[in-house]
Amino acid sequence: MKNNLIKKLISIVAVSAMTASLLAGCGAEEAAAPVAEPAATEEPAAEEPAPAEAEEPAAETAEGELPRDETLYFAGQQWGTVNSWNVIGVNQNNSMAIAGNASGYRTLMFETLYMYDPLSGKCFPLLADGDYQWNDDQTEMTVKIKDAAKWSDGSDVTGADVVRTFVIGVEIGNNTGATYGAYIDKIEADGKNITIYVAKTDEGKPVNPLFVVDFLTGTPIAQAAWIDTLYERCGGDATAILNDPGEDVVWSGPYKKYFTDDQKVVLERDDNYWGQDASMWGSLPVPKYIAHTIYADNPAGQAALQAGEVDVCQQFISNVQDLWEKDGLPISTYYEEAPYGVCLTMPTAWYNMNLPVLADNAALRKAIAMAVDYDSIIANAMTNQSPSFSDVPRSLMNPTDGEQALYDHDAVKDLQWAGNDIDGAIALLEEAGIKDSDGDGYREYNGEKISLNAVCPNGWTDWQAAMEIVAAAGEKIGVEITTLYPEWDIYQTVFVDPSQTEYAIFMWSPEAASPSNPWHRVNQFLGSEYVGVENNWSGNWGQYTNEEADKLIKQIPLTTDAAEIKDLYTKLTEIYLTEVPSFSLMYRPSVFHAVNESVWTNFPSADDGRNIPPLDCTDGYGIAALYGLELAE
Amino acid sequence: MKNTFRQLMHSSKFVLGAGIFVLILLTMLIYPLINPGNPLEMIGVGTFAKPGTYFSLYDALDTKTETLKLKDAEENRLTSIVSMEDRVSMIEFMEKINVDVSGIEMDDVDAILELWHNNFNENSKPKGITNAKWRNYKTLNNRIKKIGKEERVVYDLDPATDEEHKLKVVGGTDYVNINGVVNTKTLPLGTDNFGRDVLKELVSACGTSILIGLVAGAVATLIGLLFGLLAGYLGGIADDIIMFVTNVFTVIPSFVLLILISYSIGQEQRGATVVAVVIGLTSWTWTARSVRSQVISLRNRDHVNLSKLSGHSLVRIVLSDILPYIASYVVMAFILQVSSGILSEAQLSLLGLGPKTTTTPTLGLMMNWAMLYAAHTNGYWWAYFPVILTITLISFSLNLMNTGMDQVFNPALRD
Repeated sequence: MKNNLIKKLISIVAVSAMTASLLAGCGAEEAAAPVAEPAATEEPAAEEPAPAEAEEPAAETAEGELPRDETLYFAGQQWGTVNSWNVIGVNQNNSMAIAGNASGYRTLMFETLYMYDPLSGKCFPLLADGDYQWNDDQTEMTVKIKDAAKWSDGSDVTGADVVRTFVIGVEIGNNTGATYGAYIDKIEADGKNITIYVAKTDEGKPVNPLFVVDFLTGTPIAQAAWIDTLYERCGGDATAILNDPGEDVVWSGPYKKYFTDDQKVVLERDDNYWGQDASMWGSLPVPKYIAHTIYADNPAGQAALQAGEVDVCQQFISNVQDLWEKDGLPISTYYEEAPYGVCLTMPTAWYNMNLPVLADNAALRKAIAMAVDYDSIIANAMTNQSPSFSDVPRSLMNPTDGEQALYDHDAVKDLQWAGNDIDGAIALLEEAGIKDSDGDGYREYNGEKISLNAVCPNGWTDWQAAMEIVAAAGEKIGVEITTLYPEWDIYQTVFVDPSQTEYAIFMWSPEAASPSNPWHRVNQFLGSEYVGVENNWSGNWGQYTNEEADKLIKQIPLTTDAAEIKDLYTKLTEIYLTEVPSFSLMYRPSVFHAVNESVWTNFPSADDGRNIPPLDCTDGYGIAALYGLELAE
Repeated sequence: MKNTFRQLMHSSKFVLGAGIFVLILLTMLIYPLINPGNPLEMIGVGTFAKPGTYFSLYDALDTKTETLKLKDAEENRLTSIVSMEDRVSMIEFMEKINVDVSGIEMDDVDAILELWHNNFNENSKPKGITNAKWRNYKTLNNRIKKIGKEERVVYDLDPATDEEHKLKVVGGTDYVNINGVVNTKTLPLGTDNFGRDVLKELVSACGTSILIGLVAGAVATLIGLLFGLLAGYLGGIADDIIMFVTNVFTVIPSFVLLILISYSIGQEQRGATVVAVVIGLTSWTWTARSVRSQVISLRNRDHVNLSKLSGHSLVRIVLSDILPYIASYVVMAFILQVSSGILSEAQLSLLGLGPKTTTTPTLGLMMNWAMLYAAHTNGYWWAYFPVILTITLISFSLNLMNTGMDQVFNPALRD
């Protein structure tokens, strides 16, 4: 009898335990499933996307109903469902309509004053009319807005819109406010003319005129009247404004929202677009629809590109040349030969200066960097889609001609290294007294075995491969380096923490190209401005400080003489290559651009003489490509 | 024991299974002697070199040449430059730019080439041709330029004066004996995404994976055996409690548990042994259940009761009166556990939750990297297929041994 009771009791407990474990099991599966993070996308949304509030009802469209010969399909930009259309908000997760990219703003729906072209370094007017004008001491800038520029509701784009966009940005602290608030004092408007007053230091000099030019190419202008409506609707509450779905948004660009769900995002051409005026493009962009199917991961997007379901693919494709050389597919990239794309940034391994062993030993930092086999990284991780460090010697500059001309190559020649220099690295360590005294094959510092980890997010294949090669280099010079691949959600909370000691060598990319570069990137590499900043997404992730570098960095934005600027950059390069607070592992495009020509053709390519940058036909001056597309036969 | 062994040797299934397994073990032992060195050394710069023998072109230039007049050499060269597909696409191009191609035979390479020479201009891209196609035509055109050249000249550059010296003239009929080339390397299975020798890595990984399997199997079998023996022999409350725990573990899908544990111990702690132990800890339940049922059927046998009456201790009864009767069963269970341990490691590593990388290769990690580099979609079969084959062979041989033993030991199946 008693036995039975126990059995019953046990079975009840067992059933509840079962239920609980099943629930736990389900949760676990969800948590563990997305191991294949998009490897090529480098800057996923920094924070958790807010729950989708603004989904359109499953409207008239379905997959088959977009006419293929009027639709340009994308891949590699949009992950997950769209959150909002609120151009002055945050967490929109709306890559096709609202995306500030490292090398140009995406102007399909919302437009900037100027479009940046990283190839020439020029700014082409979009909403603006003609070039911007500086006054002599770079404290005031004047810009005129095109007469033809109109909002989707038919009203004129005026200076008041620019002013309102900036003011609300500062007030509610959105991206525009956070990025440019410190550099722009105020903006005044007079009809179609605006004057930007640059923020000044105590000595009356402009803080940083470079960022003001960034503002012109990086800020989508929103309509003042719409901002007012939104402001009233939210009762002036900053959080409410930032998170408003913005369904009623007014735009000035050539495309408008058409359809979105968890499967895809579609924009439709706005046939009343002002840009068909002769003062701008003179015509409408060719594709009637812009569509982005939401793929689960990179391989899915790549498969769709290969099948011709995707026309423009912003994804890293390993051995991309195989697609046309081996498989004979009608796929091409900007350049015919390696590196196939325009490399604008350099993924970098940062040394964590919170760890005494790294902070105290520049020799150790340099030795590891010298021992790494970069040719292998470039051949393996990038499948040669990057120039090598013997072709473009390491410095603070990206491999474009414009930036390469900014420092004296001969002056730093002896400091540069092309990698795989095991003997040199060992000699450096021996000289610095970092030796293996207990004979276990690994070197010690202050009597303790040096043991470092090399970290990057799990699933970011190319970076993972690079970290493996860094670890292999450590092995060769007797420094223990083990690899560690935490999930992205963990990684992104640790590496931005200014006091973290968990990651010793970790990966992140500095700025790519914009009017404020390479200055901005140099500041990220060496500037102490970012040291100690909580939740630091801005720069100097290794927490390196150098007073002399700071002084030089501050001088550059205020210097106008080209020779002097070159001298300053050369000195900074010297510091960087001597101190080695971080080391770049490869050069890399800021956006990938592979196109399939089975439906559309006449995409930008290096040899077509049009000089349209390969920015996926959407970003900065790259959008010019949309006006030249043709249907393939 | 000897008798049992003889019986086993009569089972063809067991012999085949054991044969395959021993062969794999032998390869693991012998191959590193033939091809010594670190299996994780990245010898290739670049990804996925094809299987085959590589010889140094640099050294080949210094190797003595023989002249061989082979009849179809010229023909082979031509077809390798202009394949049938190329010819079709050349004709397509001609049609596109409105050149009359009637009367051209596909076999008539010379006619096609002549037409090509007369009409292709690499500096003017005809309208309506896609960029991708145009680039293909240009590379084809560059290849075609090589046709008809009798010899090629290799120059040496003097770095001091920047002058070029003619080093060697290579004719179309010059051959070198591959044995005469100083540096050659045979990569029977090519290289992987890191440029590592796949066969060498595979052999080493095979060892690690079998070791993981053995450790996992041993852990699982030990726990299962202990719980099963205790539950079965003691009965009553002890049985209820042990079976409660076992049931709880049975209903949680063990793979989910495995993922959870691996995830939570973090990558830094995940060495091969830790992963093996974790696998063992999550897969003991069915051993426990079946051992228990066997013990229950044994515990009221006369000889056990006799031992009890004689006052023998629990440990002694279990070890000497019960365990020997289920030993064959336990060995069979162990073999299956080893096999599933190897599979579990492969599955875990495929998800990126296997042992940490850099230090030891395992079968699962090899597949993980092959998958990350899309080897399966790009046709680099040598990076993943041999791994799958090896896993299949190992578990096939173990299962075969198990079935063979079952036939010998299980009275119901004995012929």
